[in-house]
Amino acid sequence: MKVLHEGKVKRVLSDPNSPNHIILEFTDIVTAGDGEKKETIGGKGKLACETSDILFTFLESKGIKTHFDKRFDENQLRCKKVKIFPVEVVCRNVAAGSFCRRYDIERGEIFSPPIVEFFLKDDKLHDPLITRNAAVVMGLVTHEELAFMENVTRSVNYYLCQLFKQVDLSLIDFKLEFGRTDEGQILVADEISGDTMRLWTLTGESIDKDLFREASGDLIEAYATLVEHLKKATPKEIPIKKERIRVIVMPKQGLKNPPGEVTRKALTRLGFESVNDVRVGKVYDIELSHPITSEILEHLRAMNLKLLSNPVAEEAKVGLLVWE
Amino acid sequence: MGIAVIRFPGTNNEYDVIRALSLIPGTEPYLVNSNESPSVLKDATGIVIPGGFSYGDYLRAGAVASIEEILDGVRTFANDGKPVLGICNGFQILTEAKLLPGTLLPNESARFICKWVYLKVSESPTPYTEGLEGLVLRIPIAHAEGNYHCSESEMRALVDSNRIPFRYCDSDGNIVPEANPNGSQENIAGVLNEKGNVLGMMPHPERASRAILGSEDGLAILENFARLTMEA
Repeated sequence: MKVLHEGKVKRVLSDPNSPNHIILEFTDIVTAGDGEKKETIGGKGKLACETSDILFTFLESKGIKTHFDKRFDENQLRCKKVKIFPVEVVCRNVAAGSFCRRYDIERGEIFSPPIVEFFLKDDKLHDPLITRNAAVVMGLVTHEELAFMENVTRSVNYYLCQLFKQVDLSLIDFKLEFGRTDEGQILVADEISGDTMRLWTLTGESIDKDLFREASGDLIEAYATLVEHLKKATPKEIPIKKERIRVIVMPKQGLKNPPGEVTRKALTRLGFESVNDVRVGKVYDIELSHPITSEILEHLRAMNLKLLSNPVAEEAKVGLLVWE
Repeated sequence: MGIAVIRFPGTNNEYDVIRALSLIPGTEPYLVNSNESPSVLKDATGIVIPGGFSYGDYLRAGAVASIEEILDGVRTFANDGKPVLGICNGFQILTEAKLLPGTLLPNESARFICKWVYLKVSESPTPYTEGLEGLVLRIPIAHAEGNYHCSESEMRALVDSNRIPFRYCDSDGNIVPEANPNGSQENIAGVLNEKGNVLGMMPHPERASRAILGSEDGLAILENFARLTMEA
């Protein structure tokens, strides 16, 4: 198998049987602080691989689309080939790590709703925080892609939190990467393991990479415990979270909008003379019994064409809502 | 055999249409409910979609009705070249179903308009206006969304292929902005599909079908429709 990409702790290999897949190989290397601290710990790759296998399988069972196909070997996953977005997403339920340093707040503070942040994937720059506006204007992603990633990240957060709760662990924060297939599908990619999340036991002890970062415990023992816990969970009992989508339909630019004109006149009568123009449209709030996927966004476009808007006279915009 | 008059939930002109058609010798209008199978339309010789407020005009006038299964039957029927007449909400349903071009926007006044208007019939012959070419007809309208709008290219096609049988005009037949009740492009009151077998019009010919109603001008249009159903 040809090495397509050599990452810090994983290797991407070509899949000899399919041009549309890759083999993701987990090494025993552990790094922290952008590679400043680096060690090889025997057995880590296999455990991170197994954790990812369990968690991707779980998320797929709840309808979240990921790049995961199957376990290929002890430390290898077969995945759909995607182009990774240069922006990664972090979701925080509880203050920890860099967030506490950045804003000088107490470790352990609970966030409700959870905080979602975007980071630029760039080792030389140490993966800095990036604003939505900068990411879009720099041409890294579109607003729609960011909204999609945030929405899916919040769904993933819900499902992971529920799963870990079953085995008395709490999910503090985690990082997700997204990729796009040649067909344009956006999928959750990379890995989901103790390397990419923080997990605390009921007594507040870490069972994640913080043990290595802070040299405060046995990483392998923790990762093995995590896998054991996950095997005891009962994913079927976790209910599907409903998602909500908002479709806004507006009269096309340049078309007269009589209801808007009547409203403008009425506002002027009320003394709001600075009101220059009003246009009246429609808003549809749609509840879905399934996480947001690229396919569902396609369905929404079809819903617009078929029923929600009339393209002769209206323009429709699909918005992803975060309603807690 | 006969003329199917389709009733959706919220249609309210079906009996007016049936009564008006019954004045024409040889016609056998019958009521079809929109929840019936499209196959009931197979033996019809013509279809009328009458006015009203199908599905309460939710989303847009005609939008919900346009995706009902019965419309599959109407589409097949229309594609076979058989006559389909949509009046008022029926016109709106036919545009939403894309059996006719364009759409009907809210009236420019943003009000429901119920009044008698004059229609100038196209000078060039169309299947629905035989014997009426160039005449001025007096027929009432009653709608909130009758403001006809279509793209520039569609408008060019409508004009070039003589598919605008009726335009709002004054009592002398002048097609002027003052005679336009709702803001329709080019004073359009009705349009035909490419084949000329599907007509949509906002005015109500069935409400101008007897002298006692104030005008018989609408009956002439229904007679043309009835003739087409007998030829088909």
